[in-house]
This record gives sequence, structure tokens and C-alpha cells, in this order.
Amino acid sequence: MKIECTIDGKRLSFSLNSNKPLSLVLQENCDYTTINAHCRGKNCGLCLVLLDNMPVLSCMVPAFEIHGKTITTFESFLRIKYFNRKLNDIEKAYEDLGIRPCDDCYTSRTILFDYLTDIIIAKNNEQPSFDSGAEPFNVESLVKEMSIIKCTCMDLHDVRQILNRIRIIREKRIGRRS
Amino acid sequence: MVEGLNSPNIHTPKTLSEYGNIMLHNTNTSLWAGGTYIMTRPDVYPSRATGTDNIIYLGEIEELHRFQRNDRVAEFGAMVPLYQMATSGKGVLPKILVSNIESIGCSIITRRATIGGALCTPDMTTSIPGTLIALSSNVEMKIVKKKRLHSRWAPISRLVDKNGRFQLPPKALLSRVRIAINQPSYQKFFCTKDFMSKPEDSVAIAFVADWEQDILQNARLVITLPKSGICFSRDIDNIFTALRFPLEDSEYDSIYNVLFAFISSSFQISPLQKAIIRSFVGTVVEELNRKALTMPISEN
Ligand SMILES: Cc1cc2nc3c(=O)[nH]c(=O)nc-3n(C[C@H](O)[C@H](O)[C@H](O)COP(=O)(O)OP(=O)(O)OC[C@H]3O[C@@H](n4cnc5c(N)ncnc54)[C@H](O)[C@@H]3O)c2cc1C
Ligand code: FES
Repeated sequence: MKIECTIDGKRLSFSLNSNKPLSLVLQENCDYTTINAHCRGKNCGLCLVLLDNMPVLSCMVPAFEIHGKTITTFESFLRIKYFNRKLNDIEKAYEDLGIRPCDDCYTSRTILFDYLTDIIIAKNNEQPSFDSGAEPFNVESLVKEMSIIKCTCMDLHDVRQILNRIRIIREKRIGRRS
Repeated sequence: MVEGLNSPNIHTPKTLSEYGNIMLHNTNTSLWAGGTYIMTRPDVYPSRATGTDNIIYLGEIEELHRFQRNDRVAEFGAMVPLYQMATSGKGVLPKILVSNIESIGCSIITRRATIGGALCTPDMTTSIPGTLIALSSNVEMKIVKKKRLHSRWAPISRLVDKNGRFQLPPKALLSRVRIAINQPSYQKFFCTKDFMSKPEDSVAIAFVADWEQDILQNARLVITLPKSGICFSRDIDNIFTALRFPLEDSEYDSIYNVLFAFISSSFQISPLQKAIIRSFVGTVVEELNRKALTMPISEN
């Protein structure tokens, strides 16, 4: 099946098996090194990418579904300015707190932290009366959202600290810019 | 790399009548909704199954994305994602259904997983059909017969086979789910964590009843064992219906014994599943005992 899509800013065209998982397309057809998981249904959560800006497990997305869509992998965070700025916020938070994800889950967790921080900031902005220091995610929903990544290198306390730190750094950066 | 081998044709109908045409002219078809179940089967790619030559992707059929309600029922197209059901239906849908959806992992999964897919998973049963059976919900099916697409509504409970599996007629499409929105006055849902990843020890339980004075009416208990199937029966419901609370310990024990004799006569059940069901029934009885004992005297 002929498939055209945009991956990390590049327009690409492939001839692919229609039900090939996106995780394998990235590994085998694009030689991406930032995704190396393919757990065959064990739900490890280590293949996270953005599909039209929404996080998805790339092993659950068949090739036919990516036709005409935009895929953002961790490579974008390394190479594209807009994402690179976001990665800097996250790296700074890791550094400030002295906590960082292990090598196995680093890319997926970083993409998820980025996504959740943007939701937290958007929710804060939606509700101006909301104390911007408060967490719009209660503990239960945070556990649920993070449960997609099965790696146990971080506990909930670490996750909350990191999210809070990224939020502060990002809000400061956005505030400075505007 | 196995490019070119077993690459199924993808059909993307935009309407149900287009879907009907595709079904008429193709054999060896399989339906694809959110893909969260299909893609987690170990042999999905490269496909070792001799079967599917044609995948019909349901995501572009507008009719299957509709959600409508009146003051009695809510109707969801089969392609409505579980996440959207829980958020748009939060104030409307029975609480146990919302809790059930919320128990299914994070939004990355529930934004893709659809209500149709949650009902139709083969081999393993998700927690959703059991809850919908407890709520006496119905589904609409579309079946190609004599070159035409026919519609039929049926209660979900009627579509559970004798092995406890939800089963549509061959070649049927589940198109809509209809859920009554009146809230039973007592509802309880419980589901173990890792429902799909540790199926041998997982259980989901939905219980609804009307609480009138200190008596339970119209009780419905549905137990889902992901590997074995969905367990419910009028006999079980009758154990609870017309019970007057508070119950004595001996009454609780006899309820549990009858319930358990029924489950183990038809289903394989692990010691952990057994303990979970016991604790659930214990909690329900305790809550209802407390409710009966704290009712104002005039009501008693
Ligand atoms: C990480 C993870 C965690 C999960 N946790 C839970 C949990 O805690 N509890 C739980 O209950 N479930 C859980 N699930 C299972 C989840 O509920 C199912 O994967 C999901 O509901 C399937 O929906 P789908 O739209 O993705 O279906 P698909 O994967 O697209 O399809 C599933 C099956 O249904 C058939 N089908 C789909 N739509 C229709 C239709 N309209 N008519 C006829 N047949 C149809 C398909 O042919 C296929 O055989 C989990 C899944 C994952 C991946
Ligand atoms: S590779 Fe996608 S969940 Fe494990």
C-alpha cells in the first residue's frame, strides 16, 4: 500500500504492508533509533509518539492510519527548534531535581511529560481563578495517565515533582517571550 | 522486513450503505475500529493468520460516530471512543458505566478504544459488556442478508453465548449501543487493575438494584472473568431481589455459597478471583446493612 505522511517535518512516501505497526515503520523503514521497542502486546509503553499532535502508542497504529498524517517522534525534540525549546524545559527540570528517566523509557516519558505539562498549563489558563500552583490532575488521574509506561524507574512522587518543575520553567519561558 | 506479504486491502467506507456494498462484494473481511485490541495480539504483524484479505476500517463512517440522547436513553455510535463517552456522558450515564470506563487505563488508550470494539473483542472479554448487561442495554446490529443491509436491535444479554462470550451473528456489524439513563438507586462497580494484562486473576463486577425502604428490588449482578466470560443469571439476581436488610452473617454466607456454586458450575475461576468476588459481595452487604440501619425511623 502506498502511504504518504509527514514524519518529523519531512514529507515521506512509502510502499508498506497496510497493517504494519507504525513502531516498525519507524524502525525498519526510517531507521529511527529513538524508538526500539516492539513488545507485541505487552503494553510496555516505550513506543510513544505524537500522531497529529496527540500521543499514541506507535505499535497500536497500523500503517494505513498514518496516511496523510503528521508524526512527531523524539527526533523532532532533538532537531526542530519549537520542540527543542520544549525539551530544554524538561531537561532543565530533570537537572534541577536530579531525577531523570532511565535510558529505556527516557524518550517516551519525556514526550508524555511534555504533553501533560501542556495540558496542565492550558487548564490553568482556562480557569484564571485557579491557583496556578495547584495541580489540575489529581493523584488518581496522574497515576492513570503515567500508567501507560510500565517502566518502574520513577515513582509517583518523582513524576509530580518533575511535572511541577517543568510547568514552572515553561510558564516562565512563555511569560518572558510574550 | 516482510513488505508485500499478506498486505490486506483496506476499505474505508464513508457511509453504512457503502459498508454494505463492500461486505457484498468481498469475502474474508475483518472489521477494524480503534485497533487497540487487534494491534496488541502477538501475531497481528506479520499476519500469520491465513484469514483476512480485506480490512474494513470503520473510522470514517459518520453514522457510527453519533451520540444522541433524550430523557430516557442515550445512544452511542459504535465508533464513539470510550473517552468521549465518559466525558460527554458524565452527568447523564449511570455512574457504574463511567467508573468502568475510567478504570480502563489512561486517555492514550481510551481516546482510541471504541465502545463497539470494547464489546466485540474475541478471545477475551473486556469489562464493558458486563456493565452494559447490568444496565439492561441494547445494541443495534447491521447484517447483510439477501443483498441488503438489515438492522436489528437486541438486548446485550441475549447475545452472550453459553460459554459466556458476547457474540454477534456471523458477519454482523455492531452499529449502535442504547443505554437507559435512569440511575438505579444502588450501583456498584469494581474492577481489578491490569484487567487485560493479567486476565487469569482479573475480575470486573457490576451490581445494580433499586433500594426501596430496606428492600432490594430489580437486582442485577454481572461478573466478568476476562478469560472465561461473562457470568450472570436470573437465578443469581433472584438471590438478591426482595432481600430485606440488614442481613445476618448466616444469610450473607448462604448468599455467597449459592452464588459461588452457580459460578463454579459454569466457569473456571482462580482462588484470587474467588476472594475478590467474596470481598465485593461482602462490601455490598455491609453498605446496604449500614444504609438500612441508618434510615430515619419513620421510613422503617
Ligand atoms: C494498554 C491497554 C489496557 C487495557 N485495559 C483494559 C482494562 O483495564 N479493562 C478493559 O475492560 N479493557 C482494557 N483494555 C482493552 C480495551 O478495552 C480494548 O482493547 C478496546 O475496547 C477495543 O476497542 P477498539 O476500538 O480498539 O477495538 P479493535 O481493536 O479495533 O477491535 C476489537 C475487535 O472488535 C471487532 N469490532 C470492532 N468494532 C466492531 C463493530 N462495530 N462491530 C463488530 N465488530 C467490531 C474487531 O473486528 C476486533 O475483532 C485495554 C487495552 C489496552 C491496549
Ligand atoms: S512497543 Fe508499544 S507498547 Fe510496547
